[in-house]
Order: sequence, then structure tokens, then C-alpha cells
Amino acid sequence: MKNIQYILNAILSKDIFEYILVDKSLHVVNISAGVDKYIERVPKVGEELLAILPELVGSEKEIKEIFSNKSLNYILETVYKNAYYINISIEYFDNEMLLVLLHNISDITLSKRKLLQYSNESILLNNTLQTILDSQNALLFVTNNNEISYTNEQFMQFFGVKRISDVRRKDMKIYDYLDSNLNSYDELFERVNSKEEYLTINKDTFILQATWIESTHKLFTLTKVTKLTNQIQMDTLTGAYKKSYFNTHLEKLIKNKEEGVLAVLDLDDFKDVNDTYGHQVGDDVLREFSSLILGNIRGDDIFARWGGEEFLLLLQHTNVENAMRKIESLRTLIDKYTFKHIGHMTSSFGVAKKEEVDDIHSLLQRADKALYEAKDSGKNRVIFKKI
Amino acid sequence: MIRKKILLLGDFSVGKTSLVRRYVDGAFDDKYLTTIGVKISKKLLTINDVECELLIWDVEGSTPSKKISLGYYRGASGAILVSDITRRDTVNGLEEHKTVFLSENPDSQFVVAYNKSDDLTEIAKENIQLDEDTFLTSAKDNSNVEALFVRLMEKMLA
Repeated sequence: MKNIQYILNAILSKDIFEYILVDKSLHVVNISAGVDKYIERVPKVGEELLAILPELVGSEKEIKEIFSNKSLNYILETVYKNAYYINISIEYFDNEMLLVLLHNISDITLSKRKLLQYSNESILLNNTLQTILDSQNALLFVTNNNEISYTNEQFMQFFGVKRISDVRRKDMKIYDYLDSNLNSYDELFERVNSKEEYLTINKDTFILQATWIESTHKLFTLTKVTKLTNQIQMDTLTGAYKKSYFNTHLEKLIKNKEEGVLAVLDLDDFKDVNDTYGHQVGDDVLREFSSLILGNIRGDDIFARWGGEEFLLLLQHTNVENAMRKIESLRTLIDKYTFKHIGHMTSSFGVAKKEEVDDIHSLLQRADKALYEAKDSGKNRVIFKKI
Repeated sequence: MIRKKILLLGDFSVGKTSLVRRYVDGAFDDKYLTTIGVKISKKLLTINDVECELLIWDVEGSTPSKKISLGYYRGASGAILVSDITRRDTVNGLEEHKTVFLSENPDSQFVVAYNKSDDLTEIAKENIQLDEDTFLTSAKDNSNVEALFVRLMEKMLA
């Protein structure tokens, strides 16, 4: 036995390898001097191997099979024992014994652990940052080459896409929503960087801001303010928009040279309602009238109160024929409707198409003149006035 | 005395080491120190008058780029599948851990821990579906840690 120990000690570095020789019942036959550093006590000859290395519990059968097939071996890697990392390997020694080698791999494992710790912490930090980014307003990162490099979850949700690759594939040009004269994110940045802009997409309103991220990326932030904007810009009595909001949209339509038809409308003989039934009933009539109109126009049409019983209706992106059909249907609707307190009422409409030479005043003036003509020619009618 | 090997399996940083530390040593430290390889802890317990030695294998967590060595699965009688209830990806990952574990140890038992429950509000806790083998645990406030290990031992002895 001393020979065996001598040979083993000679071929194995004591600092790196320790060994245990066990018999067929997995009890210790011989043991190197340094095994105790892994198990915090001095193991004894005759002791059960599993008491020294409980890591082997459950693998007894597999280990004993090595006696019958000497090409087999058992390996358990990176086991943490008493502040050391070791590999445990078991192989055939002779007909009566197995050799259990304990390989100290602490140095390399601690280096690997540092890398793993760094990597895992990075992943956790990245996940946290991603969660924060997704909880923010809609964000859009664009490179200096005008390519979209990143959008957060909020942005993708709003535009109904699931992956950034979809955003890139669709080549989303949000600057088109602000001004059709803008041709790139560079131009949008120039415009928005100095002062924030309101951006309207369908029925939602956003505050659009832009800032540099390093010198390579631009960050556009879209803050949804639809609800707040609507509250501020709506007439509290009728639920129609205020004139100021209407003007903004009308100016934008004219500036962007978009198609549109403007109608000025009011309830015929509304003054009599106030005089006969009082202002409370008059207010109720205005509310009903407004509700009827709002319930029968498209999402991107804009209905506003000009003042008193006069209202404005902007039909966007439509031609005169379609607009006239729509307006006539609104007139008929009012004509057939029974108001709660007073029963039957009629309405008149003055209509004008936005022409290239129009500004906001000329367009409003023409539609207003058309309304007067409708009144003068008997009321309860729609009059269109050409330029 | 009965000896049983059990594994704690789950993604990295879900709190496997903290659960073992809480159960075996009654201690907790919220500093994250990633586990590499495996560390075995022992715990003696008595279930229905039967003395048992539980060999608890705290196995390194799987990461997106590193899967667990199958060598660790050999001879296990049970597993605790651990997730971080505040990280949905780790909860979704439980199914894969279960599949691999049962493919290596088809006759073994398992229980599930939704760990770090101390980070949840009471309302959020009420909305989580649990059963007799699934526990909302917290190594930090020692919530359901004992019950988790005892339930697994009961299943293994049944």
C-alpha cells in the first residue's frame, strides 16, 4: 500500500489533486493527506465514502458499475466544498479498488465566477432598464442616418406592432403627421429640438419633444395628452371644440394644402327659444343639437362652437360632393328630430370648399356668407358658395 | 436513516441559494452573489416519525448562454423549481426546468416556488394561482420556506 501512495503522490501534485481509494463496498482503503481541507475533518480508513462525499448519494449504483466495466468513469464538476471548488472523478484502479480523485479547480472557477457575476448583473440591469423604458412615454431613437434604431414597448403598442423589426420594416415616418413638408427625421429634429410641438395622430394628441443622445442618436419622446387636451379645448356646454382649437386645425389644413370643406351652421330662430322658454331650455337645445351632430360625423371631422348658436364643421380629406351629401344628411336629421322641450327645429348650413388661394379668414367669410344666404332664402337649407 | 438528494433548479438570480440558506442556516443576505457549480447542504428532519437527511443541491442558475450540467441531475429524488415572481421570464422558464429534470429522473417529485414574494403587494399575491405543490415564498421574510421543503419531503416519502 505504501508503494501505491508513493506512486500516486509522485504523479499528482498535492496542491491540485487529492485522492481516496475505496473498496467494492465504497469504504475508504487509502487516502491522501490533503483530503481533510475539503471536508473540515480528517477522514479515516474504513469510513463510508458517502459520509466524506455526500455529493455521491444517489449515484452509488453508477459508481459500482465501474468495477465491472473499467472503461467507465464518474465525473462531477465544480462542487463547492469548504471554500474550495473541486471536480470529483472516479475511475477503475484495480479489481478491488476505485480511485476517487479530487481536483482543486478553485483558481480558475473563481475567475469564471467573476465573469459570470458580471454577466448576470449586466443582464439584470438591462432587464431593469428595459422595464423602466417600457413604462415611459412612447420613445423613438433614430440614428444620424435617419434609421430607427430603437422604440420602446409604449411606442410599439400605440402603432400596433410587436417588434422593432416591424417598426423598421414599415419605415414609420412620424414627421408626416406633423407637417407633410418634412422629409426626414433630421428635419423633424430641427423643428422640435427648439420647441415642443403638438402632434395629432387619428384622435390622439401628443406632445413631441426631441433631444440628442450622445452625438450619434436622436431621441423623440411622444407624450400622450389627448384627454387633457380635449378637456382644455372643449366647450363645456356643448362638448364641441372651442373656436381656438378649430382654428389651429383649419390653419394646418390650409398650410399643408390638404383637401377640406368648411360649414358654418346654426339653429334657425334659436333666439325665439331663449325668449319663449328661457336660457335653461336654450342650453338644453344647444346640447341636444351638438350631440346629434357629434354622433353623426367621422372621427377626423372637427366640430366646434363659434359662439351663441353658431357652430363650425370641418370635413377633412373629402371632396365637395361627399361633403355636401353628409351636410344635407345632417340638416335632414335635425329637421326630423324632436327636441325634448320644444319639439321641432330646423338648421341652416353655409358651405365653402378650401381653395388654394384661401386663408382662414377668406374661407370662413365665404362659408358665413353662404349661411346668410341660406337664412335669407327661407332657412332649413344648405347653401354652397364658390370662390 | 433515509437520505434523499434534492435539487434547487431555476434561472439565475431567482433566489435558490437564499432559500437554502434560510432553510438550513436560518439566515438571509440580500447581496447577489452568483452561484457557480453546485454546493451541497445537509438538513436533518423528521417527517411522520421518520428521520431523514436531506442533501440539498444548490445548483447554479441557468443563464441565456449557459445551461446546467446534466451530471448534477443524477440520482435526485426531488426538485424545487424556483422562479422570481417579479420576473415573468423566470416563471415562464419553470416549464423547461421541469421537463429536463423529469426526463433525467422520471419517478421523482417536485414542488414550485414563486420566490421574492416580499416584493409583491397583498393584492398582487391574491391574484396568483397556487396549489398544494406551488408556494409563494420569500427567503427574506421567511415566508413558506419550511413548508416548501417539508411538502417536497412528504411527496418523496409517500
